[in-house]
Amino acid sequence: MTRQWRAMWAGVLLWACGAVAWAEVPASAVRSGALDEGEPRLEAALLVDATQVKPGDPFRVGVRFRMDPDWHIYWKNPGDSGLSTEVSWDTPGTTVGALRWPFPSTFRTPDGFITTHGYQKEVVLFAEAQASAQVQGALTLSAAVDALVCAERCIPAEMVLSRSVPVGPETLRDAAATASFDVFQAQVPLEGESAGHTASLTLDAPALQAGQPFTGTLTVAARDGQPPPGVEADFFVPERLAGIARVALTQEAPGRFRLEGKAEPGAAAGQAPRLKGVLRLGTAQAGFRPMELDLAMAPLEAAPPGAVAAAPAPSFAGPGPGGAALPPVAAPAESSLSLGLALLFAFLGGAILNLMPCVFPVLALKAYGFTRLVQEDRRHVGAHALAYTGGIVGTMGVLAAVVLAVRAGGAQVGWGFQFQEPLFVAAVSAVVVAFALNLFGVYQLGADGTALAGKVDASRGLARSAGEGMLAVVLATPCSAPLLGTAVGFAFAAGPLTVVATFVALGLGLALPFCALVMVPGLARRLPKPGAWMEVGKQFLGFALLGTTVWLLWVMGGLAGVDGMARLLAFLVAVALGAWLYGQSQSTEGTWRWVGRGVALVVLLGIGGVALRFEEASGRRASSVTEAQPWEETAVAAALKAGQPVFIDFTADWCLTCKFNERTVLAREDVRAAFAQHQVAFFVADWTRRDARISARLAAHGRAGVPMYLVISPSAPDRPEVLPELLTQELVIQAVERAAGRRTDAT
Amino acid sequence: MKRALTAFALTSALGWAVPALAADTAEVGKPAPDFKLKDEAGKEHSLSQYKGKLVVLEWTNPGCPFVQRHYGANTMETTLKGYDATKVVWLAVDSTSDNTADKSAAWKKTEGFSYPVLLDTDGKVGHAYSAKTTPHMYVIDEKGVLRYAGAIDDDPRGKKDTDVNYVKTALDALTTGKAVPTVTSEPYGCTVKYKS
Repeated sequence: MTRQWRAMWAGVLLWACGAVAWAEVPASAVRSGALDEGEPRLEAALLVDATQVKPGDPFRVGVRFRMDPDWHIYWKNPGDSGLSTEVSWDTPGTTVGALRWPFPSTFRTPDGFITTHGYQKEVVLFAEAQASAQVQGALTLSAAVDALVCAERCIPAEMVLSRSVPVGPETLRDAAATASFDVFQAQVPLEGESAGHTASLTLDAPALQAGQPFTGTLTVAARDGQPPPGVEADFFVPERLAGIARVALTQEAPGRFRLEGKAEPGAAAGQAPRLKGVLRLGTAQAGFRPMELDLAMAPLEAAPPGAVAAAPAPSFAGPGPGGAALPPVAAPAESSLSLGLALLFAFLGGAILNLMPCVFPVLALKAYGFTRLVQEDRRHVGAHALAYTGGIVGTMGVLAAVVLAVRAGGAQVGWGFQFQEPLFVAAVSAVVVAFALNLFGVYQLGADGTALAGKVDASRGLARSAGEGMLAVVLATPCSAPLLGTAVGFAFAAGPLTVVATFVALGLGLALPFCALVMVPGLARRLPKPGAWMEVGKQFLGFALLGTTVWLLWVMGGLAGVDGMARLLAFLVAVALGAWLYGQSQSTEGTWRWVGRGVALVVLLGIGGVALRFEEASGRRASSVTEAQPWEETAVAAALKAGQPVFIDFTADWCLTCKFNERTVLAREDVRAAFAQHQVAFFVADWTRRDARISARLAAHGRAGVPMYLVISPSAPDRPEVLPELLTQELVIQAVERAAGRRTDAT
Repeated sequence: MKRALTAFALTSALGWAVPALAADTAEVGKPAPDFKLKDEAGKEHSLSQYKGKLVVLEWTNPGCPFVQRHYGANTMETTLKGYDATKVVWLAVDSTSDNTADKSAAWKKTEGFSYPVLLDTDGKVGHAYSAKTTPHMYVIDEKGVLRYAGAIDDDPRGKKDTDVNYVKTALDALTTGKAVPTVTSEPYGCTVKYKS
């Protein structure tokens, strides 16, 4: 024992000598402990539910604790900190059973980081007792109490309580004490049978792995066939579980609970942890029914070899505000996604990208090209498919090279990053407009004026297919697709070869559906024959491409404001004029032809040079979802502290998938209602323009681009849930409900 | 809708992998998060600067009765004694929100110990290490990998005659090239008084 310790006990004892006894218990059975600046925070009394005991009769003996407001003592599992309350009996001639623990309350620090379990205000910890037949005169009952009483501070309290109870021919109950015992006995969890319920547990995996999360389903069935009553906040409190780092239950339906947990990183293989704890069914209105849980989980398996070695190296970050600096989140671990799997995801993601809205204009073009192609002989069809694939893969290669070059320059890049650059948006707009004008027949692509529309020139067609492939990539990048985000995120965090390999796999995936389609034999006969209608169809598709420019202009508006949009429009007029002049030159001969082309070039360069000067627009454009706040880590932390679930929408104006999700899911009534009901704090992280903080946050979750949706529960701020790229209303509502519900978890 | 659901099914398989690799907290067997913190004398310390040495992190708070008990009994100094000072580094970390350099300096003077007290008043490092109690102990090996996390010993109430000092057993194992026998234990003590 230390100096301070001893001094504290001396103080406690001195104070206790002068303690005022409670009316119904003798002075020897009452002590006050845990002094804080001279004031006691805890009073304990030894209660017996009988004033006279007949040997052999059962009676109850317990310690009643009364705490000052806001102060608490601890349950048998104190939780993340604190110390369990200990009562040791010294009762010669009397046997005392196991200590009964009423269902505890759960306490959390405001940030939800530390959770403890215990009792506030008043509790009676008690046991069943029985005097032996030999006892004569009086029973001597003593309890040594060792408790830690905490509010903001913690003060240890140690005290000995004792009293004697006369032995007589019959047991006389003490009404006041009996009532007090009954109140707390009703809160003591019962074993399954006496609780009237049986519980069973099914884990989703046959074994647990050290350091790994696990899930399962707990089912509670009532013996009488009635569905078990609902539950209220903090309905489950686990005991300390060997081999388990954390465990939590959330209600999915009456009587069905989702179990989520994580095995201890250092847990030994062969161990078979059990799910032990107390479950409180019922509500304050209908009454509570606490029950004990003690169920086998699954054996622990050894962690796969090399799991530790493959862990990411810690990244060393510079000092942040306050002098402390930490890597915001560890870099994505290679261990969880192998290169092969990443390439497969890239390939599948590329294929799915064909279904995303941003590739629609190109698909329209391809549909047209398709009717043209399938009429040709198989050799030509194959060549076109190859050219289209080559255009895609080649452009992907260029994109990968740009990514690597930018990264080598020390800048953060992500998928679709090029749309953060006004000049790039202008260039894409120009290409789209030029393509559209070509479809309108303003000029012929790469052929001299003698070439006639409708005459299929194989080499010209091949260049066109390759060009369409390039356009497909350029237009596809502002879209994200399922699997794509994960694959690209993996690539961006890896070496140069992985980046190139991933982009190539992505390109092959993007090209696959079209190639597969044109190669199907016999399709030609089912399609309409080429003819004059094709010219009409082609011109019509030109408008689809012009539609794309509307979106690109809107993106430019976000990047460079109204002035930027006007400049881009002026430039596009120059492109159109240049294309028209070029078209005119195609139908002339000799000198005029070259003069025409020269003038076209001068117009284009002249107007382009004047127009293409974009200044960054001031202020960010709000998301299309209302009530959104701009993303700030401090604001997120504040919302979580206030107990609000948080939804963060990582978006960008040029990201069509993001806009699609915002319009079709996030802005919908049902979703808004769910957000309002659970008081969700909605944040928008706008990546339209470069933002290193957002890039870092995306990388932290293994993503290189938007969209990304994070749902953070106030009870688990360190475990955000990442939603898939494509949202549905149900998906979002369920995630939000989970995040709100997790408030009631007892981890 | 069906397409979206299929896409969801595909990605939900990934959803599990993503939070797992986003772990930003200390875990035994994995590299310990790096930090840069100033001590009570204003000197900066980072974990990376001590690569090649064993590092003990001790979460502390002089106002906590558990810490007071251990400092009264000189638990930390006794544990550190006997190891080569060029190989073992002891860093106390105080994440108490209202702590100041002056308070730590005064406490260090009263208790008369040698190692620095790092100030983590915003609690960032404490959160990264999931430090929950004072004391809460961490032992990091020469490569920066966390090898032990938990209580200082197996005697929360300070009543045992012979207790097992987990930090000492970890240091003994690491200095002699053996496996650490107990890699985690339930820390005990007061709650870390983080900024709220």
